[in-house]
Amino acid sequence: MDTDFDETYVLLLLADSNLPTGSFVASSGFESYGTHGFLSLSSASSAGKGRAATAGTVAFIQDSLHTYSRSALPFVSDAHCVVVDSFKDLKGKPEIGHDATIKKLLELDELYETMTLNHVAKRASKAQGVALLTLYAKGFACPSGLSDEDHLSKSLNVLIDRLKLMVRGEETHGHLPVCWGVLTGALGISLLRAQHLFLFLHARSLLSSAVRLNTIGPYSSQQLLFHSVKPLVEAEVSQNKDMRTGIFGDMHHNDADDRPATTWPLGEILAVRHDLQHSRIFNS
Amino acid sequence: MSSTAGENIPVGTGHITCDLHSSTVVFSKLSSSYPLKLLSPRVAEHGVAIVYVMSYGGGLVGGDCMQLIVEVGKECKLLLLSQGSTKVFKTRAGNRASTRFKKFSPQATPTSLQAVTTQSMEVTIAPDSALFLLPDPVTCFRSASYTQVQTFHLAGSASIALLDWVTSGRRSMGEDWDFLRYYSINEVFVEGRRIARDVLLLDNPSLDTQTASESCSSNPASRSPLRTLKDRLAPYSCYAMLLLYGPKTHGVVTDLQAKYRTISIFKRTAPERFLWSLTPVDDGKGTVIRAAGVDTEDVKNWFRESLKGLEAVVGIDEYRKVFL
Repeated sequence: MDTDFDETYVLLLLADSNLPTGSFVASSGFESYGTHGFLSLSSASSAGKGRAATAGTVAFIQDSLHTYSRSALPFVSDAHCVVVDSFKDLKGKPEIGHDATIKKLLELDELYETMTLNHVAKRASKAQGVALLTLYAKGFACPSGLSDEDHLSKSLNVLIDRLKLMVRGEETHGHLPVCWGVLTGALGISLLRAQHLFLFLHARSLLSSAVRLNTIGPYSSQQLLFHSVKPLVEAEVSQNKDMRTGIFGDMHHNDADDRPATTWPLGEILAVRHDLQHSRIFNS
Repeated sequence: MSSTAGENIPVGTGHITCDLHSSTVVFSKLSSSYPLKLLSPRVAEHGVAIVYVMSYGGGLVGGDCMQLIVEVGKECKLLLLSQGSTKVFKTRAGNRASTRFKKFSPQATPTSLQAVTTQSMEVTIAPDSALFLLPDPVTCFRSASYTQVQTFHLAGSASIALLDWVTSGRRSMGEDWDFLRYYSINEVFVEGRRIARDVLLLDNPSLDTQTASESCSSNPASRSPLRTLKDRLAPYSCYAMLLLYGPKTHGVVTDLQAKYRTISIFKRTAPERFLWSLTPVDDGKGTVIRAAGVDTEDVKNWFRESLKGLEAVVGIDEYRKVFL
């Protein structure tokens, strides 16, 4: 019961829309989708403007979740597992234990970089990724001097600080899915909860963007979040929770069915074209 | 089964090795076995060679497994083309001796095994040489299942133009993204370092009835109708990915960047009939273009026009053979 409450408490903090991660400047391609005229595509011409916009928003969320789950969730899962697996090493000498962990995280980071052929998405991913590491360091790490800071926490602080410095020093990219896996692993969140929250936050961010763009109203957004998004996120988690990058095993088993992939090329085109919009309020 | 100099070639494989001798490209290997067929016409331009990669019958059937190895020697420029769209047919399981089966989901039972058509290509591109892989698009027919894996190993000064595109099916037969599965991997290494890995998965799980019934039962509360592959890709019937890397592609990359910079989008009420995007990869050393069109013909015409700069690299007559 205690550990459940602890995990729930952390989840409440991570789900806070005021969490300083900079995600509010990213629409994940939604603004571009609207500008390019795709919002009205998924509804009958007889539907009213409001209904068309809502249907279009739901369509975007479905397609975006579908591809993001398949392409990014495996990286969240692998990064989470790397950090959790390292606990036993970290309990020893932190300096030695970290090297292997950092190496694996960098490999994941680099693979995500080479698989995301989209400079706009990468830009947003890197900004939010490093924000998560900074958040851990400044918001979640035990303040030094507090008597109940144990050896494992100290060790995790060092690991994440090191990773953050490498990102700032441009030794690695610090992509969001990897950093999310690291953050949730370090905070003791279970993998399933971390996966679920990752996709939920993506969907919620899309709805927030829709409200800011005046595509849907704030009540509509809550209604969609409660009724439409819930089963979508659950379905995607269920479908992709066992997907892994394959980087720690046999990468050349290339047609394996549990590997990252893009499933929405249209989304990629529109996301990249974000910068071509004559006027825009989002950064991506 | 054909063989070269006593070599024992397994079914559906091919091997292309070319080198430059004075200013002519010479093939030390150009062998293939049924159903793969390779053809190399005479080329006027110095240092350039063309190979047409085809399959007997003009199409691939479920269970076909084709493997091609390509080695582009120093300072050679090789164009790999096709003759017409690669058609992928569905077939009843067990029609060919070499049929390869695949499970599609962890929960799959024997009833959902499908005969998969697989094509793989392993390419090595030597210093100062270039590969122009500019085939016609792949067209998967209703219920077809296709996997394509292409791996490219470039030397530091090598160049590549890699085009990978797919259409929605046979419009005359009313096919509109009705195939079971299309899975395409393109992976590029430069001096042993991975610079790009593009993995595109387009599938229709609802056509695989086993998975459909499972996903229905796990999703009883879904209030929104599940979107199909057709919904996700509408209104386009052709999607393309072009990767450009290396000195011999700099000319066309400059042309494309200039073209891209002129685009400015104002709010639209409906999508354009053709869309394209340009993104740098590997710190700007490479470029990836994605394109989509309502008509495949429009996509083809756009590529033909946009890559005209290749005339200066491979020759005017040789470039004319591309995007016919």
